[in-house]
Amino acid sequence: MTSRATQSRFLQSVLQNGVGRYVCQLKRISIIFSKKAQSSLGIRDFIEEGVVDYAKKNPATVVYVSPKSCRIPKIVAEYLNGNVREEIVTSKTSQQVSELLTKLTNQSGLDVIRIRKPFHTDSPSIQGQWHPFTNRPPSIGPIRPQSADI
Amino acid sequence: MASGYILNRGALTLGIHCQRVCRSVTVTQVREKKRWMRAYTYLMAKKLKLEGPPPPKPRSQHPNWDYHAEVQAFSTRLHENFSLQLLKTAFINPCYLQAEQARRQGLGVDSELTALDLKNNIKLSAKGADFTKSFLIDWCRASFPSLPSDGVQSIVGHLSSSAVVTNVARNLGIEDLTMSEVFPVPDDVLHSTFMAVIGALLESSGAERTGFFLRDFLVTQLIGKDLFDMWTVVNPMGLLMKELSKRNIVLPEPRLIRSAGASTVLPLYFVALYSDKKLLAQGPGETIVAAEEEAARVALRKLYGYTENRRPFDFSPQQQHEQPLIQSVSSS
Repeated sequence: MTSRATQSRFLQSVLQNGVGRYVCQLKRISIIFSKKAQSSLGIRDFIEEGVVDYAKKNPATVVYVSPKSCRIPKIVAEYLNGNVREEIVTSKTSQQVSELLTKLTNQSGLDVIRIRKPFHTDSPSIQGQWHPFTNRPPSIGPIRPQSADI
Repeated sequence: MASGYILNRGALTLGIHCQRVCRSVTVTQVREKKRWMRAYTYLMAKKLKLEGPPPPKPRSQHPNWDYHAEVQAFSTRLHENFSLQLLKTAFINPCYLQAEQARRQGLGVDSELTALDLKNNIKLSAKGADFTKSFLIDWCRASFPSLPSDGVQSIVGHLSSSAVVTNVARNLGIEDLTMSEVFPVPDDVLHSTFMAVIGALLESSGAERTGFFLRDFLVTQLIGKDLFDMWTVVNPMGLLMKELSKRNIVLPEPRLIRSAGASTVLPLYFVALYSDKKLLAQGPGETIVAAEEEAARVALRKLYGYTENRRPFDFSPQQQHEQPLIQSVSSS
């Protein structure tokens, strides 16, 4: 797959976040797991050990813990710009789940696709758009088509 | 119970399995290839194609929704101390109250027993809109002292326009919490809700905090915007003449300084404006008239201090910023 075929975007932020004040973009997180299934073992451990600490540390995020019979436990993260990400946490340990949650908290919620450059500016040129007189001293005279003898 | 289930399933498949339903009433569960499944999925796909996808539901009707916790998280997320009572009032729109009242009457519930004891956000919204307007006007006057009142009005109009405010409100998660009659929330309802949130902040935290809130979330939308994108000036040369005569500067004299490709499809002219033999501004254009107009716009931007290479606006946080400065002075 070439780089042109994959989706890409520029480096950006939601609502100029961080210019004025930083707003945590993760608004809501739902942990969906089973009380019995083997695959939910790690996330059950995490709910016993770490989820209260996580909720206390991130008061800006609403944490929902919903047990229901399912084979595939997952974490559904909803962001301020309306994007929803589902992360499947089948047979992950408590430590791994905690790391995943930290990652989800720090993300902006924009699509996780290839970023064209690690920097971006809205006005790319400092000296302005190129025109035929850029870097041309005014003493040279008007621009003419090249004559044949030169 | 089981027969009812099978009957129901049979009805869904449009009576294809009528015979089987009649025959297998006594059987509770059939362990075989589910032949009804094909017809059922086909029917559902056809229904989806005919009716289109179901209308979007508000987040509050999806599972996992705790309104109080959401409002509290909204308040902490923005680093503000809202009074929760006021904030909840700010989200209740009059259209929601009317619809809810009508719904309860339609259900035949006694209106005295289940009276809606909620206030709507009209007052907060009016208060917030007034404060927003006055704050933005003050901010523009302070940032661009030489900008005339027309320009200030158009910048304020742009910042408090429906498009900008609803974009900000959607990206702050206000849409989820808004109580509205219809979903998706219409733009005007979202606009008044955002203003009501500002009104609630004004009542709970005071004018200074609200000013910082507006500066951080609304004024930042001005970054990267050109003055004349927001302010439509039909005759920039006339405006420039007026401004210059107000400041007692000699009226500008446009001169063609450079041109290229006059007979091609991409001609280019550079017009400079000189006032008393001093260069005011120069601007490019595809025709001489367009170039002159562009030069006048460049000169106006310089006069008003809204050039592209101006000093960026100050968005630094105020309280947190001051304390380390004092500490560093005392330590050194």
